[in-house]
Amino acid sequence: MPQRLHAEFVEAVGADAVVSDPVALRSYECDGLTGFRVVPSLVLVPATAEAVAAAVRVCAKHDVPFVARGAGSGLSGGALPVADGVVISLQRLRSVVEIDVVNRRAIVEPGVTNVDISRAAAPYGLYFAPDPSSQQVCTIGGNVAENSGGAHCLKYGFTVHHIHSAEVVLPDGSTTVLGGDSPQLGGYDLLGAFIGSEGTLGIATRITVKLLAKPVAVKTLVADFPSVEQAGDTVSAVIEAGIVPAAVEMMDALAIEAVESAVDAGYSRDAAAALVVELDGPQAEVDAQFAQVKQLCEEFGTTKLRIPASAEERALVWKGRKAAFAAVGRISPNYFVQDGVVPRTQLATALTRISELAAEAGLRVANVFHAGDGNLHPLVLYSEAAGEHEPAEALSRAIAELCVDLGGSLSGEHGIGTDKACSMPRQFGEDDLATMARLRHAYDPSGICNPGKLLPTPRLCGERPGVYKPHPLEAAGLIERM
Amino acid sequence: MTQVTTFSPSTVEEVHAAVADTRASHPRLLVTGAGTASEWGAPAEPADAVIDTTSLTGVLKYAPSDLTIAVRAGTPFTTVQETLRGAGQRVALDAARARRGATVGGLLATADAGPLRTTFGSLRDLVIGTTVVLGDGTVARSGGHVIKNVAGYDLAKLFHGSLGTLGVVAEVVLRLHPLPQAVGTVAIEAEAAEAFDLAGKVVMTGLEASALEWSGGRLLVKLEGTPEGVEQRERELCRLGGTTARVLTDEEADAAWTGVAAIADGVRGTTVVRIGTMPAGGPVLVARLVAEGAAVTSSMAIGVHTVQLTGGDHDELLTQFHQEFGAAVTVLRRDGLSAGRAWGPPPAPVRVMQAIKRQFDPAGRFGAGRFSLWLEEEERAS
Repeated sequence: MPQRLHAEFVEAVGADAVVSDPVALRSYECDGLTGFRVVPSLVLVPATAEAVAAAVRVCAKHDVPFVARGAGSGLSGGALPVADGVVISLQRLRSVVEIDVVNRRAIVEPGVTNVDISRAAAPYGLYFAPDPSSQQVCTIGGNVAENSGGAHCLKYGFTVHHIHSAEVVLPDGSTTVLGGDSPQLGGYDLLGAFIGSEGTLGIATRITVKLLAKPVAVKTLVADFPSVEQAGDTVSAVIEAGIVPAAVEMMDALAIEAVESAVDAGYSRDAAAALVVELDGPQAEVDAQFAQVKQLCEEFGTTKLRIPASAEERALVWKGRKAAFAAVGRISPNYFVQDGVVPRTQLATALTRISELAAEAGLRVANVFHAGDGNLHPLVLYSEAAGEHEPAEALSRAIAELCVDLGGSLSGEHGIGTDKACSMPRQFGEDDLATMARLRHAYDPSGICNPGKLLPTPRLCGERPGVYKPHPLEAAGLIERM
Repeated sequence: MTQVTTFSPSTVEEVHAAVADTRASHPRLLVTGAGTASEWGAPAEPADAVIDTTSLTGVLKYAPSDLTIAVRAGTPFTTVQETLRGAGQRVALDAARARRGATVGGLLATADAGPLRTTFGSLRDLVIGTTVVLGDGTVARSGGHVIKNVAGYDLAKLFHGSLGTLGVVAEVVLRLHPLPQAVGTVAIEAEAAEAFDLAGKVVMTGLEASALEWSGGRLLVKLEGTPEGVEQRERELCRLGGTTARVLTDEEADAAWTGVAAIADGVRGTTVVRIGTMPAGGPVLVARLVAEGAAVTSSMAIGVHTVQLTGGDHDELLTQFHQEFGAAVTVLRRDGLSAGRAWGPPPAPVRVMQAIKRQFDPAGRFGAGRFSLWLEEEERAS
């Protein structure tokens, strides 16, 4: 980076907030999707929202691409740096500014972790509902960027349903506020369009989140099934009975094996599938519906029903479930996580096709999913050392595209990012994507805000956006995909 | 004045044709549905042609087990609800206008909602996919048929509250909720301030009220769920609410909720305004409005207040609202207002709104005038 530009960034954010040491820069080269790595020119770690805006103004003035970054726990390469650009880390903006008990909301900075919001709200009987599995480390700024969900979004919705407003630094370096004090606000829902835009429309520097009262009653069960299909049918029966559980999760045998190796959460290693159903709400409602759920599990052939007797035991069930991705590391040296969604009624078809695809590729796939809303997290297991990276990546992509073919989506919560941008034409037509590009252009006419993410680009995917094929130079290891 | 042509497309292809083939002949278009919100916002300027969506009807795909339905946007909302009722499902939205025939697309374009907004939000929170037609004829789809989906930008959000200024919403996919087996309403007599405190207590007690509406000197609490659950929650609520708390009979409840809807409806000669505040700001505003003789219905837990003013000229009051609440004030009915009075100061990100308008409708074909100066300021300045 030219010395003068470097000096302008120093002036914008302060010398202590500029990282240029090559070794330090390397720690920003990827996010949770470690297959893609790009070392940025510079990393900025501003301490205030004003400094973020000042940094973006420098970027805008000199057309320097920038990538906002929270905890870097995203799984789609949404925070992958741009080689000639800067990374703006929000890690120093981590204060909970205010808990407004009367209006049941919290004002937080973007670097606050998801779980820390609920921690700060807990003394008042309140909590923040979205609960992605990475909630111990992921930040609210990242949740806003990705419209994060979590296990409990079946009943409670996604991040977009839990944000009142956000102060945002736009790609030209100006600051505005999207949303307002109440949901009643004239004009287009700009906040709604911003949430889930994967860091491509600006940087949220202060976020007002909705807090909910903790439910009075929570009841959870773990039901073992002799087949994944039976577990799936049970979920359908529960939904068709008009019950909206707080969460319905499923794991197959391979995922259970991984979890038990890592956490010892009490799942049965001999079950083909385990279903976790959680109901919460007023005591009488939970009691009535829990009895119904138990009965349905039995009708559909559960081999074992386990009902955690205490909050601690319930927490262990969830610890196991939420540790599933990491736990797969115990049974495989490497893995890819997928995030496709199918209409829930296509669950059985999807799983059959996934196992066929896995068999064809000669690889194992562990399945963890949010069964209530058809959001699959197939984990493609492979060994880098055994040269399985490429077939594993191909399988992973085939699974995501299978979800689209079954009437679903490439991504339920992890985002498109770098990972699935080239698969977008599988789900959307040229005009659809061109219209999305108009939205992006309205915010970011010069294309400096997290470029290369979310929408396919010729540079990334070839001249005609199509199903991604590696460039021969990339295949030869001479260039990196970015 | 030339004759205004009306196009009545019945499919997305016909919408495309009506928009794409008229670029030269009918540059300025006005999109209409059932006409139940024709007075919302500022008056539309005269157009060369009307795209009437009332023939753009029908269910495209209903998947009860997936809790989704796809409809053409001109379908009356009540028709959708009737279709769903048979399978024990609903769209969890109770905008008053639905009773007067409002279309799904119209409810999206106006960001309308009723008391259930407290729990379920508005169509912004319930639409999972849309197909829209832009001024150059582009047909664009976003979202899809699954409830959980983060692929691509969510264009439906932009059309929420767009008042027909970005394009035509042609098809909409909605997420569904089960119809509750039982519904009960508890009414508690309370002044606004007391009702606000009470609403907070109801929320914090975890009773999961689906609506908490203050209107006509009482707090109406709607409970939905299983028969045994609703009954127990009604009892708890009566304990919490004190001596005036009472479970309404079905007839009384119907009358109470119809009364709430009637405030949003308005009648000839009334001005209706919807105002958003911090929830805690509600009681003071409501007390003041009641003192002015307004009929008010207020979603206490979320700070959304619908205000009906009768008789006379309300320009001055509207100006006060604009000064205090800015862009959180929307005019729904305007019999007591001077022509052109609708919007106050623009929302903070008005430049973004203008940029989106320029990107989506560069030729300025749709809904001229609806946002008054908000969308035009920059053009005038330049």
